[in-house]
Amino acid sequence: MLWKPHHIVPAHTKINFMGHRLWALGLSTLVNVLSLAGVFVFGLNFGIDFEGGIAIQVRAKQGTIQLDELRNTTGALGIGEVSLQEFGDKSSALIRVQRQQGNAECVAHADAVMKRRVGNGWSVKPGAEGTGDVVFSAPSQLDAGGWRDAVSRVGLTVLERELPRANTNTVKIDMTPEQRAEWCQQVAIKVVDDAISNQYDVRGTESVGPKVGAELMHSGIIAVLATLAAIAIYMWFRFEWQFGIGALISMLHDVISTIGIFVLLRLDFSLTALAAVLTIAGYSINDTVVVFDRVRENMRRYKKLGLVDVLNLSINETLSRTVMTSITVFVAVLALVIFGGPVLYSFSVAMLWGVIVGTYSSIWIACAGLVYMKLRPEQFRREEEGAKAKA
Amino acid sequence: MLHLPRWQTIAIIIFTALAGFFALPNILPDSVDDLLPKWYAQNRINLGLDLRGGAHFLLEADLRGVLNERMTNVSDSVRSELRKKQVAFKEVAVEPNGHVTVELRDEAQRPAAIEAIRAVDPSLVAAGSGAKVDVAFSDQELTRKRKEVIDQSIEILRRRVDETGTIEPTIVREGDDRILLQVPGIKDTTELKSKINQTAKLTFHLVNEDLATSSGGALPAVLPPTTSLVPTREGMQALKAGNPKAFDEIQSANPRLSPEQICRRYHPPCLPIFKRVIVGGEDLDDAKATFESQQNGGRPIISFTFNAAGGRSFCAATRQNIGKRLAIQLDNEIISAPVVQSAICGGSGIITGAFTPQQTQEQALLLRSGALPATLTIIEERTVGADLGADAIHAGTVAAVVGTVLVMFFMFGTYGPLFGGFANLAMGVNLLLVLAGMSVLGASLTLPGIAGLVLTVGMSVDSNVLIYERVREEKANGRSALGALTAGYERALAAVIDSNLTALIAGVLLFGFGSGPIRGFATSLSLGLLTHLFTATIFTRMLLATWMRWRRPTELTL
Repeated sequence: MLWKPHHIVPAHTKINFMGHRLWALGLSTLVNVLSLAGVFVFGLNFGIDFEGGIAIQVRAKQGTIQLDELRNTTGALGIGEVSLQEFGDKSSALIRVQRQQGNAECVAHADAVMKRRVGNGWSVKPGAEGTGDVVFSAPSQLDAGGWRDAVSRVGLTVLERELPRANTNTVKIDMTPEQRAEWCQQVAIKVVDDAISNQYDVRGTESVGPKVGAELMHSGIIAVLATLAAIAIYMWFRFEWQFGIGALISMLHDVISTIGIFVLLRLDFSLTALAAVLTIAGYSINDTVVVFDRVRENMRRYKKLGLVDVLNLSINETLSRTVMTSITVFVAVLALVIFGGPVLYSFSVAMLWGVIVGTYSSIWIACAGLVYMKLRPEQFRREEEGAKAKA
Repeated sequence: MLHLPRWQTIAIIIFTALAGFFALPNILPDSVDDLLPKWYAQNRINLGLDLRGGAHFLLEADLRGVLNERMTNVSDSVRSELRKKQVAFKEVAVEPNGHVTVELRDEAQRPAAIEAIRAVDPSLVAAGSGAKVDVAFSDQELTRKRKEVIDQSIEILRRRVDETGTIEPTIVREGDDRILLQVPGIKDTTELKSKINQTAKLTFHLVNEDLATSSGGALPAVLPPTTSLVPTREGMQALKAGNPKAFDEIQSANPRLSPEQICRRYHPPCLPIFKRVIVGGEDLDDAKATFESQQNGGRPIISFTFNAAGGRSFCAATRQNIGKRLAIQLDNEIISAPVVQSAICGGSGIITGAFTPQQTQEQALLLRSGALPATLTIIEERTVGADLGADAIHAGTVAAVVGTVLVMFFMFGTYGPLFGGFANLAMGVNLLLVLAGMSVLGASLTLPGIAGLVLTVGMSVDSNVLIYERVREEKANGRSALGALTAGYERALAAVIDSNLTALIAGVLLFGFGSGPIRGFATSLSLGLLTHLFTATIFTRMLLATWMRWRRPTELTL
């Protein structure tokens, strides 16, 4: 043998985990309350997925990126709040623009873009009040195909059939205010592009309109709730109802405190963050199941032992596994944090936290929960007697 | 018992080898690919748009607009029908909710009015009371129309995107009124956006029958200036199937080949048609697949409707050309050339032939694809440059390799070369199974998907950890080597299965609710958990059982 196996955790530990449960519950309550308070006071740093808006990844054509200069340039464009951050390396940045309203300002921007990109003779003006209509004028007469092509320069997609068949100088595009708001995201992309394109290369663009943003938020919340409920129900069927509740509480604890980490570190809360939250719920339950499985086994084996002792024994017995698995997942996620690149950064940091908090909660929250729900060994005794009587 | 029958061992080895076989094309260099059969070499994991670069659009169809337009037509028809039936009315108006209200002068004429409305379109439903009649399409009809609009939009989008020369676009329906369009490898989306709402060229022409019969199937050497040669759609599809290389040449030709050039160079079946356009696609209101009445034989047919202007020109042309063929040309292909049986006046007609119901569906769809039925608005757009994708691939690969090496290192360090080796082997097989699974399913690997793989690596040694720790406990309790291994394995099993299934719940729900790259993550994570169930319960067991039988150890170095 080249080397001998090692025990990372010594065999037969006798740590009184449950003895510290009040401390743990106090700490967890504090962390959770602070997390929720943080969400309400400081708010989550929602990415464009949930809020709508535009994200543009740029790289300086030469040298490193000048964030201050870029901030001044983009801030003066009149497209609302613009936030910047270095992205990946010194020469790249992520420009985030708030979701655009479909207002007259947006039409004025479209007008400017049209004049810059197509020619001075062009103009774009808002139509009647209360509608989202937009009126385009051209310096010469155009047919439907020509108009379609022209309006697409400002990111507007219009049905060719609805454009005039005869040659005309102006055309009114019928839109609802909602449709105009969706289009205005496209306009803002062009505005930013025009302002920065001589110094920066655009490497990727994302825009999420108001409608999709609201829907993703809605389905995200449902996804989290449905996952928690489904797992709790599974636990209830496989174990006792107390285990289901214990698992649910510990998952809620992990989800809330993970959201707290997003508030604390100002991480982007995007779709990938949602994936992290759900994965953490899955990981945490994975750990909890292993401990619960042992609790159930020990309750049957040591019928005289009190619940707290059974829990302590079970946690200690599974401790080396818990630690070992946490380490392997931790190092894998650490590799993602360090090497995974800027897109995965928020996800990976959250996962790293999730591994720690998931391990902690399966010991202190899930098991401590069992103590307060009065899960007693007597239940199992009755069960076994019932089974014997049947046999 | 840890013991495993021999046939099971063999089955597991074959299964694993098969997985390796299916995962192999992913790592083969392109030069080797050319030597392999196509079905096998193409059996690869698709890279998601975030890795290969490209554009992702979510488009929303303006169905309200379509309904409004349709109801405006309905109100016109109702008005003329009421006049024809001499029903006096004050007003016929289109309401913002997509209904039409008819206000009668005399309540007593209500039954006559309803009859008139039914005559316009049998799927109209009349409600309301007294002198007011509320007209709307039945829910069934609305649903049908909605589906039709989206299907048609997809068909047209496909044509438009194909024209830009991109390969493998994904165009699928999303929900009720949306279309997801993914175009890999595209750099500038401006052209694509301009094309999205472009109208296809659908035109009706007379076939130059003199030329068609005199040449007897062969291509006429010289064409009169009034006539052009156009390949048939069937012919082009036969060419695509029979001679894909020629088809690719036609697709990628720059400048694009004219229909006549295609006919002369590649000899697909072609028809000589008069250049003069009888009716344009913009005048075609609707076309649908339906059936003849039972008396006439109940065959599948295509029925179509023109607007007023289209109806007039069509009527004149068909009256003069009974017995001749009328070619329907769509974007440089003739989709159909039915023989004119009788003069078609009154704006609507039918096309009969030896069609299957599926063919009539397809033909109707093609006929309708002259114009996009509804405005498509971009409500979500994500564009990734190819170099950004390459960066992401690099970052993901490095993270995956480093993560895997670190995990293997820890397993070796903790459980020694033998048991650590078993665990790492199982982890490797697990990864192989995930890759094979994704190849076979044709799933996309996204950057979050790579993160899912890394997590799979970290979590898939867990089952071995569970088993080994249990074995250590049993050993400490004084069991023999075989006893400890068997008991450890069996007792750990329940925990392994439960913990995997619960984590799988999260994965599956994430797949259901997520979209795009997140789906990629959910796919790789869920597949990883599923395959892990195999490696943990069966593969590891085989390793341990085989090893026990072979070495018969009395002492476990664990």
